[in-house]
Amino acid sequence: MAVIRDMMPAFELFQPTSVDEALDVLERHDNTWVLAGGLDSMDWFKDRIKRPDVVVELGSVSELTGIRASGDGLEIGAMTSLRDVVANEDVRSRFGLLADAAAQVATPQIRNQGTLGGNLIQDTRCWYYRGGWPCYRAGGNICYAGTPRSMNREHAVTGQSRCVAVNGADTAGALVALGAQMLVRSAGGERVYEAEDFFVGPEIDIERMTVLEPGDLLTHVHIPGDWAGARFYWETARDRKSWDWALASVAAAIVESNGTIERARIAINGVAPTPVRLTDVEDLIQGMPANDDTGMAAGELATRGFKPLRHNDYKVPLARNLVRRAVRGDMA
Amino acid sequence: MEILRTAPNPWGQEVLVGVAWDLLWAAAIAGFVFVVGHHLYVWIMAPKAPKTAPEPAQEVPERVERHSQASRTFHWLMAATMLTLLVTAFFPVIGVQFAWVTIHWIAGIVLTLLIIWHIIHASTKQDFWSVWTGAKEIGQAFQAAGKFLRRQPAKEERSGKYPLDQRAYHNAVTLVSLGVIVTGILMMVGVDTWFWASNPYFLSDSTWGLVFVLHGLCGVVLVTMVIAHVYFAIRPEKRWMTRSMIKGWITREEYLEHYDPDLWKLGTEPAGAELAGGSASSADPDGVVPA
Amino acid sequence: MALIGQDISPPDLRAKVTGRARYAEDFRAEGMVFAKLLLSPMPHARVRSLDASRALAMPGVLGILRASEVNQPDAPGEAALTDEPKYVGEPILALAAVDETTAADAIELIDIDLEPLPFAIDPLDSLRPGGPDARLEGNVRRFGESGPEWDSLKWPQSEFDAAEAEGRLPMGPPEDEWSHGDLDAAFADADYVLEDTIVHQSLTHHPMEPRSSMAYWEDGRCYLYGSTQSTQRTHQALAGQLGLEPDDVVFVGQYCGGGFGSKIAGATIYQVTALLARKIQRPVMMRINRYEENYIGRARPGFQAWTKMGFRSDGKITGIDLYIVQDHGPYGRSGDYNTAGAVTDLMYQPDAMRFRGLTLYTNTPPRAAQRAPGGAQIVAMLEPLVDKAARELGIDRVEIRKINAPTHDSEFGPQRATTTSAFVREAIDAGAAQFDWAGKQALSGQRNGTKVTGVGVGLSPYVGGSSGFDGLLLIRPDGKLYIHQGIGNLGTHSMADTARAAADELGLEWDDCAVIWGDSSQHHPYSAVQAGSQTIHAHTRANYAAALDMKRKLQEVAAAALGGAASAYRVEGARVTGPGGSMGFAQAAERAIAMGGEYSGQELPEDINNYTRGSATQLAGQGLMGVARDNFSHEGSTWSWVVGFAVVELDTETGDVVLVDYTGSADCGVVVHPRSLAAQIHGGSVQGFGQARSQKWVYDPKWGVPFAHRLYTARPPGILDVPLSMDWAAAGEPDPQTPIGAKGIGEPPVGAGSAAVTSAIADALGGRCLCRIPLTTDVILAELEGRAQPHALTEIHS
Repeated sequence: MAVIRDMMPAFELFQPTSVDEALDVLERHDNTWVLAGGLDSMDWFKDRIKRPDVVVELGSVSELTGIRASGDGLEIGAMTSLRDVVANEDVRSRFGLLADAAAQVATPQIRNQGTLGGNLIQDTRCWYYRGGWPCYRAGGNICYAGTPRSMNREHAVTGQSRCVAVNGADTAGALVALGAQMLVRSAGGERVYEAEDFFVGPEIDIERMTVLEPGDLLTHVHIPGDWAGARFYWETARDRKSWDWALASVAAAIVESNGTIERARIAINGVAPTPVRLTDVEDLIQGMPANDDTGMAAGELATRGFKPLRHNDYKVPLARNLVRRAVRGDMA
Repeated sequence: MEILRTAPNPWGQEVLVGVAWDLLWAAAIAGFVFVVGHHLYVWIMAPKAPKTAPEPAQEVPERVERHSQASRTFHWLMAATMLTLLVTAFFPVIGVQFAWVTIHWIAGIVLTLLIIWHIIHASTKQDFWSVWTGAKEIGQAFQAAGKFLRRQPAKEERSGKYPLDQRAYHNAVTLVSLGVIVTGILMMVGVDTWFWASNPYFLSDSTWGLVFVLHGLCGVVLVTMVIAHVYFAIRPEKRWMTRSMIKGWITREEYLEHYDPDLWKLGTEPAGAELAGGSASSADPDGVVPA
Repeated sequence: MALIGQDISPPDLRAKVTGRARYAEDFRAEGMVFAKLLLSPMPHARVRSLDASRALAMPGVLGILRASEVNQPDAPGEAALTDEPKYVGEPILALAAVDETTAADAIELIDIDLEPLPFAIDPLDSLRPGGPDARLEGNVRRFGESGPEWDSLKWPQSEFDAAEAEGRLPMGPPEDEWSHGDLDAAFADADYVLEDTIVHQSLTHHPMEPRSSMAYWEDGRCYLYGSTQSTQRTHQALAGQLGLEPDDVVFVGQYCGGGFGSKIAGATIYQVTALLARKIQRPVMMRINRYEENYIGRARPGFQAWTKMGFRSDGKITGIDLYIVQDHGPYGRSGDYNTAGAVTDLMYQPDAMRFRGLTLYTNTPPRAAQRAPGGAQIVAMLEPLVDKAARELGIDRVEIRKINAPTHDSEFGPQRATTTSAFVREAIDAGAAQFDWAGKQALSGQRNGTKVTGVGVGLSPYVGGSSGFDGLLLIRPDGKLYIHQGIGNLGTHSMADTARAAADELGLEWDDCAVIWGDSSQHHPYSAVQAGSQTIHAHTRANYAAALDMKRKLQEVAAAALGGAASAYRVEGARVTGPGGSMGFAQAAERAIAMGGEYSGQELPEDINNYTRGSATQLAGQGLMGVARDNFSHEGSTWSWVVGFAVVELDTETGDVVLVDYTGSADCGVVVHPRSLAAQIHGGSVQGFGQARSQKWVYDPKWGVPFAHRLYTARPPGILDVPLSMDWAAAGEPDPQTPIGAKGIGEPPVGAGSAAVTSAIADALGGRCLCRIPLTTDVILAELEGRAQPHALTEIHS
């Protein structure tokens, strides 16, 4: 069979108007695909690498869009556009970390079309995997990116387990740092995951990025009020200032009192197959002053045990410095 | 049902990548069907062989040692690693997700070391060939099969230390285990360990495919075999054997009922006589002692 | 008021901003079907067998076109389809179907068996003992006494070992070598000598519009709609490729969404559309997508280079020794590396120079000229080294460039050529003033938190003109001047700007002029390719020559009608006025048609090109014709210059670089169209920013398969990578050797933008040159942190 790319094959399209209807379609068909903004999906379809028979497009499911108060926090529908997340006054004023991260995603056009849920569950950008190579993540037996000669400057420096791909979702780190919960529905009911448990590394399941299985829908993201108004720090390092994924990014929520760090929640992304919450660092810096020494200690601890590949050693100091900046309290 | 999985390699050539996991279900079902079938057969249809009266030809102690301490330790360690390997290999396939890779390869290494020990031990301290199937055993097998098919009540032949079915099982397990071990050791080249970094280009992609297929095939065959083994271990008429694998001995009666003292001569094997009443018995091996 | 020097609205503006402009993909024809390509998945292979029967049996599939059905030029020429693909992505066959989905589905049903052949991705791998050759014929093509011949060139292992031990580029025997002066003496004379190995990646052109085309046949005539930089040349080339007379081909390409050198005379792939349309007797549209464009869309060759430069304490460059290994791709022969040698000699005017180099065939996409081919690479590579010397010698970095810059009569290159003019110092001064070099220089090294400011300057020359083409003008009885332009329309406004040489000479308002372009059935003169910044020079001259011819004819027509001597008539205000009275252009056109002969194009000058003759003959009798060859003389070649000035802020903790300020200043002779000049300086510089910072190729060395085949992985610069503040200036001195005084400007801004950024980054790093382009975050951060560089010294596609 000859290979052809960049030309979408046909599939059956469903456009349900409710979650129940969507779940029903997913339940009734095999080889399904859930389509949100389509920015990740279309690439796969066009390259004919992921070939669903049935595509369930969620654009008409109104219960999945919108941002509303929930307890002392917010609940954001998974289909809410990144633009709406960025523009939302509550998000900006109380959970600016998410607004900052969402505002850096790709380009304005992509933020108009792309959704929060889609950004979170996007597949990795490992170019071997996305090139249709039969790697572990694609059900094969080899990680082509992890060999001594591979081109892996954008790959993982930690958390590798056969697969060395990274999670590239800009909003993922921010939601981990905000202690968000992911609400998942399937025909079997609703499940709730802590943000950091929502993402799955290759040691657990090498073919998925999140806990979502066929038939599951991420419906909402709940952000508790715990970190509202904390000092936030978001930064992404990348090759271009737009339409680029993070070489490494940091998201931090830090509460200080009298010049010392009272509590903190920090995540880095772009360095491992999942966003990495830095609980050790959070413990370390508690009660310490927010300054460069603390930042450096935090950065060193965060990157201890990192195992760079042939071309990505630079990610070690990069991640260290991003954590350092987040902790020492740079203006983002 | 799909048996093998293929995928286009980076150059668009279809290459083998492994077995289809449909096979796992097939193996499990085969094991289940065997268990149910055998049980029904024994329960309803199996001709009862007339009990042969054992004639003690020599002095037989009350307890005959069948498995030495070392053998039993080996067996249970191997059983544990084997189960670990199967669980870590197949639970993720059936949807129970956990970080299995490191456990799996460490268990694989333990199993490899155990088997190396076993081979050395069996060839130096034991009668290496006592558990292997030769021309004679194959002939017996044909006879037994013929009788079985004609539903003739076969007079149960008293065997040597390892009866035919145990020998056959041992041989099959040896083959399949060596298959997973050899392919598994090759696959170690593909994972990062504390000692080396993975080198996926150690073999060509089509050779890797073959390695994964063999590993997968042997793995699913082991599922069936383990099901059968466990089944026999808990069958009432075989419990004396299971007990011997736990405690090491069989009774005098069991010895005389099941074994031909000419074929299993007590006190002729080079071994440490550890048991009280034990004349020098085998310090035997072999993990797998089922039926 | 003269049009030259004024901002005007080009005639295609309205169509472009309203969306009425039709690009190749926008055309439709009755019964049109679609074609898709089957691309090679292997870097080098041979088709062992191919069975398309299942595909052809699919409903809606109309046919396929194989390599055997297209023109197969001799090696190293490139065919549109091949059975021996030499890079991943090379087209093997084309298939037509009623729609693209069907075509793509059908291609998947083609059973193809490819035999993998040895391949080379990194040129140096090909030179190692026992290394692979990219082609079955060899890896180099040598021009010996008995003509060109193939060779499998291998260097001794000892050279590779020595290079590794010394941490430099391996430099075995080169294929090309020239020198002037006494190099040893030059280095002996130097007070400061530096030596470095520098790597520059290859870059795909990535024009916004890929090379789509639509073709159909009618009465044995081929009609093809494509995207090109140069209409007339594409028409001619296409006719040649199809084995037809130009009259039997109609080529339409009014708009071109960018070419940057990749569509100079159209595209090889257009043959496929035309031949498939003929084969299946249906109009065929072949839309090329970004993925395919990445492969067949041409690329700039990468360099693995080494240089040694000697400087006297006063900043004068005494000697340059330059060695370039060029990554060539599998076809043709790119001259970038040789040009780079000439540019180096011209720009720095060393007392002695030696150039050595070779170009290696590799199994990567075919190379072609890309905006300042050779020049843009080498200036970005060498300018930071000149900075290093300036810093070492305590000389201002702008000053050191002026010290070494050429003057009007400077010689350069193997032939010791000269230029028509060189207002380099004037351009530098104008730019330095505009940029406020002295003030900005003070910011160098300033720290603001974790950010350090770097200030850079990069000088970039390139060929800026050719000559000897034809102009073809017609005043029709409606009184308008029709300026027939065979050059293309790739957004540079050249087709309008060069027309103004004729309009000015005939004293016309812009509204009295109509530019005819982009459609061979409208009759074009023989024209320069719109490449290498040739057109503003070549076609202000050609149109000026034709305008002089027309002016004479107007005078003679008026004199014949109104009486008196022709020379006594003046042409102005769309009228011819003299002793016998005055006549409008409309009247003159009517009179010319009545008079016939040379006045209406029935008789044509001897020296014009045959192509022009054909076009003029078609137009004959329709008005008053001005037609002439550009016979104006000039000595030396025409070179333009841009100097770029940049301010960057480099974050010492992340390696991130923000470009905050940029000014480009040109020596391009007379400024014909200021707004367009600004667009060229800025646009070219932005391309240079991407070259310096982010854009590159990445290949897996084991499989020879590329990854940077999408815009987001190839990483050309985005709008946020462009500084908010961008300025421009021009020396504005006319080139004395061309009638209008204008020189081309398309090429040099790229190198200026790239070199200014590499220079500014080196400045921010305290003068440390990283000798690798692009200077991505990883490279910079590894340097800042004192860690191992992510790429090996000569690693090129990583």
